[in-house]
Amino acid sequence: MTIKEKGYTHWDGEFKDGKFPWWPITRYGIKLTFKKKFFKFFFFMTLVPAVVYLVGIYISERLEDFSFMVRESTVFLQINPAYFKSYFTNEGLLFMIVIILVFAGAGLISDDLKYNSLQLYFSRPLKKKDYFIGKAAVIVFFLFIVTLIPGLVFIIMKIVFSGSFKFFASYPWLVLSVIAYSILVTAFFAFYSLFLSSIGKNRRYVAILIFGLYFFTDIIYEILYGIFKSPYFSLLSFKINLQQVGAFIFNQKTQYAVSWVYSLLIIIGICILSALVLKKKIRGVEIVK
Amino acid sequence: MSVEVRDLHFSYGKVKALDGVALDLPKGAIGLLGPNGAGKSTLLRILLGFLSPDKGEGRVLGYDIKYQQPMIRRFVGYMPEDDCFIPGMDAVSFTSYLGELSGMPRQEAMKRAHEVLFYVGLEESRYRNIETYSGGMKQRLKLAQAIVHDPRLLFLDEPTSGLDPQGRKEILGLIIDISSKKDIQVLISSHILPDIEATCSYVVILNKGRLAADGNISELKQIKYSLYEMKIKGENKNFLQKLRDMKSNVEETEDGLLKVYMPPGKNPQDIFKTAAEEKIQIRHFVKSQTSLEDLFAKVVGVD
Repeated sequence: MTIKEKGYTHWDGEFKDGKFPWWPITRYGIKLTFKKKFFKFFFFMTLVPAVVYLVGIYISERLEDFSFMVRESTVFLQINPAYFKSYFTNEGLLFMIVIILVFAGAGLISDDLKYNSLQLYFSRPLKKKDYFIGKAAVIVFFLFIVTLIPGLVFIIMKIVFSGSFKFFASYPWLVLSVIAYSILVTAFFAFYSLFLSSIGKNRRYVAILIFGLYFFTDIIYEILYGIFKSPYFSLLSFKINLQQVGAFIFNQKTQYAVSWVYSLLIIIGICILSALVLKKKIRGVEIVK
Repeated sequence: MSVEVRDLHFSYGKVKALDGVALDLPKGAIGLLGPNGAGKSTLLRILLGFLSPDKGEGRVLGYDIKYQQPMIRRFVGYMPEDDCFIPGMDAVSFTSYLGELSGMPRQEAMKRAHEVLFYVGLEESRYRNIETYSGGMKQRLKLAQAIVHDPRLLFLDEPTSGLDPQGRKEILGLIIDISSKKDIQVLISSHILPDIEATCSYVVILNKGRLAADGNISELKQIKYSLYEMKIKGENKNFLQKLRDMKSNVEETEDGLLKVYMPPGKNPQDIFKTAAEEKIQIRHFVKSQTSLEDLFAKVVGVD
């Protein structure tokens, strides 16, 4: 008997008034990202720096066992806020974050634009903010795995390996620094990739933009600094702005002779601009006036 | 009333898409007819809250279209006109995903997704990636996602567009089943008149953003006007003008057949009198069985 003969049946369940209507968007977004070719490889590669730094923390507590390895380099294995700053602001980690965005962020909105699926979302009891939070949470998930979680694990493992709370007592604010910087980096990259994803319908084109724009700002800085020798051109580089604010958050000296406040304002400005564009672009139907 | 709107206005820039539309739609299957650009899709989008009207107000299932959009969307299913899906998903994931977004618990959404995919005839291919689906399968999938949360009211925007005759017949069969046996109200926007005639008892005709006609199809066809078909010999210019002066709508087909839509209260003998005055021979005269197509042509003024 075909189902047509059986006929349509009503659903007798009850709708749930969940506090997180965006959660299915996030869950499926994460699931679909893991299905992408090579993503798992690159994602696990992103975790390599965290493993290396974790090993560094272990070695720092067992210097006598590893003396043949470290020799005069013990200075590099002093676990302090500089060590954390070095992990969070190193170019390798930021590069790998951009690679994650290429996989996880490029298609988040551009695919919905390409396949007209925004109207499917907004014909459901979803608000614009639910859609946005659901998509942004996909990026938050992946970036927290390479920022917030390793940072907290470093602190915990340092305490475990040393067998005392001395480290925690010395830098009680470090946990807040890890949380603050992880949120800053994640929020910036979430807005950055969602903004770029919303301006194109082709995922590959958006991926190139995400990758290219990030490095373009750095190259522009290098060129202009080379010509004019003014440190203020560092404000043009996304990477340097994040490093400058990161240095402040971890209570370290900033690398460039420009106030970190400018960098923070630029990061916030980019986030606000992205939010405004997203608000305008994300709607149930495309209106051509 | 399932849908009530009052004095609805909406413009895309300088182009008026809706110009003072007022409707009270009863329960049952309702056809929303009109030529391209008449404002059908705009009306559906306003009812769903995708667009905010420039002026006017309305209620869908008792919920205000401006302030209670989430409630409307919870109890309304929408099958869009365009191809729309989420790449990388199979039909089960896609349908259950949209069920979850409607507020269904995850397990129930998955169970229900299987049921509705069986219902629309996609049981064999429900684990296939949607991107590999044919146009007809995508159309069925769109219907499945629209009914997964068991809506009280279903908006179908051009549900048979792009389908072959067999696919069209099957989709219409499903729509008739849903609307006639299952206590789900259906609002079908289409410009394919036979589809509306086959599925709906009530019709709303929009033209240039205005309400051109609405009512039960059978009543509209019988009461509003009478259609006469005739073949004539002679110079017809003045004859046709006189018929138009009598407020009749006159169309001439390619094979020389004249279709005269006479308003209520007019007598067919007036046609003969006018023909005699203009020395026109009427060689064939028949009161035609009116179709929705005729009604549409009459109120919209297009063939």
